[in-house]
This record gives sequence, C-alpha cells and structure tokens, in this order.
Amino acid sequence: MKTTFITFLAAMAASMPAFAEEAAAASAPEDRSVLDAEVQSLRREVVDLNRDLFMLEEDLLFPASTQVAVFVSMDVGTFFAVDSVQLKVDDKEVANYLYTEREQEALKRGGVQRLWLGNLKAGEHEVTAFFVGQGPHERDYKRGTTLQVEKGVGAKYVELRISDKASKLQPEFVVKVWE
Amino acid sequence: MDARHHRRGVAARLVLAALLAAFGAGATAAEDPSAPDFALASTAGSNYRLSEYRGEVVALVFWASWCGDCRRELERFERLRRTYGSVGLVVLGVNLDQEPGRAVALAGAAGIGYPVLIDAGKDVSRSYRADDLPLIVLIDRNGAIRARHTALDERDEQGLLVNLRDLIDE
Repeated sequence: MKTTFITFLAAMAASMPAFAEEAAAASAPEDRSVLDAEVQSLRREVVDLNRDLFMLEEDLLFPASTQVAVFVSMDVGTFFAVDSVQLKVDDKEVANYLYTEREQEALKRGGVQRLWLGNLKAGEHEVTAFFVGQGPHERDYKRGTTLQVEKGVGAKYVELRISDKASKLQPEFVVKVWE
Repeated sequence: MDARHHRRGVAARLVLAALLAAFGAGATAAEDPSAPDFALASTAGSNYRLSEYRGEVVALVFWASWCGDCRRELERFERLRRTYGSVGLVVLGVNLDQEPGRAVALAGAAGIGYPVLIDAGKDVSRSYRADDLPLIVLIDRNGAIRARHTALDERDEQGLLVNLRDLIDE
C-alpha cells in the first residue's frame, strides 16, 4: 500500500514539470507579444522625449529674441554646381560648408539645408555668403552676395537661394529674409 | 488640469533624461569611440564626407609623400579594396602634404583607385591624433573607431586582416 502511494507521488511529481512546460509554452507567444508592445511603447516615449529635449535645447541655446538661421536652397541648378559655401556675419566666418555629390543632388531635388543657426543681438548686421563651384561650361565660379539684416525682436530666417537665370544662361544668387 | 499634469510629467522626464545624459556623458567622456566626422576635398575635385559611409566599414589611411613607409600601406590598401570592396570596405586616403601635387603624383605611381583627400589644414589628422605616419584607422558600420594601426610588419598585417574581416562580418 505504502509502495503504491509512493509510486503515485513519484508519478505526479514527474508529470508536474511536463504540465508546467505545456502551460509556459502556451503563454510564451502571449508574453512575447506583450513584451513587444511594451518595447514599442518605450521606444515611442524615448523618441518623444528626444524631440522635447531637442526643442528645449534649441529654445535655451537660441532664444527667439536673438535667433538667426541661414538656409541654403537651390532652384534647378543647371548653371551652377555648388562646391562650398562660406558664410560671414559682420565679417566673421561662422560657417564653411563643403558639399558632396549626394548633398548637391539633395539640393537640386528641393532639399533645404540649414547652414547656420546662431545668436545676434538686435540691430543691423551684415551677412555675406561666398559660393564656390562650377559655373556654365564647367568653369570655376566664385560669387559673393551681401545682405544687411535688421534683427528685431523675433527670430530671423535668411534664405540663400541659388537659381538659374535662363535669359543670361548664368546662375543667380538671391538672398531672401523670412520673418 | 490635465495639461498642467502633462507639462509636469514632461518636465520631470526632461530632468530625468538630463541627469541620465549627464551621467552617461561622464562615463563616456574618457574615450569616445565615435569617429569624428569631416568633409574634405579629394585630389580629383569631389568632396567626401565620412558620415555618408555609415553602414560600410571604412579604412582611413593617413599618409604624406615624405613618409617612407606610407607607399607600402597605400598599395596594401589598394589590394584590400579590390578584395573586400564588394563586401562593404571603403578606403579613404587622407594626405597631409601642403602641396597636393606631390600627393597626386605619388598616388598615381602607386596605382591606387580609392579617393585621396587633402588635409592640408591638418584639422582632420589632428582630430584623429595622426602623430605617426602612416596611420590606419578602422571604422565599423556604426561609425565607431575599432582599431588603429601604424606601419605594419608581417604580424601586424595578420592582426589588421583579422580586424578587418571581423568588422566586415558584423
């Protein structure tokens, strides 16, 4: 009798891990999907947090009262392949950017590049840009353009646009101020 | 009320993230493995930016025409480029000569087919601490510096090949 009972207990004990494994196997896919959802949600939170931090950093480093941003864009670009742009503000070099072929291509496709973001106090400032590259007939080409910028209370956005002047078969460099 | 709670939540998370970032920066400031980005003009006229090669294994070969051991490395990396170029190895030569003319002549004589970038201002070589030439810097597909080699003897060459193959296989 006693032997039978012990045998029964041993059989029960032996079958327990099997039951546990079956239960675990059934719940494993569910656990994984829950975990995946949690990871996705965490990832989203990190992305949101990163964006908030980036905006906060920009607000702190470049407050609207002093912020000036200079952008480069290109319209068509048949007569000019930009190699580099040097930017001076009040005769001080603030940016000197070399363009790779991929970046030239991106500009030609309508991309707008933020060349410089900085702080300037209220008042009048001189912004000068030198464009170096290849002009018509693949000749080396260097052109400068200057603009007097009146910095007020709000942020100032300056666009340096390279466009084609079809009537003269020459590139044209236009500086535009966005309020 | 909800908006105020949300703002508080964002502010708390920002403070937490800033603290974490500060601790993280402190921990990694000693040795930052990320390869400093740069853009340089090549002897052929095109410009090259390192960050455009994320996803590839990059070998930077710093050299100058006055450096005796450099030519051997230029030729070695031309052979490696031919062998491993199709599986993701990009070789960029960075020349430190003041006069690019000598670099062009030497690169032509060595028969190298990869771009030779001109670092006459030495800004890039300074940021990579290229005190001894030649210097070879291996950068992984995530843009981290994984190995630095100077002039290679036979044993070093084996080490370089092992490093290179490991990086390509990653």
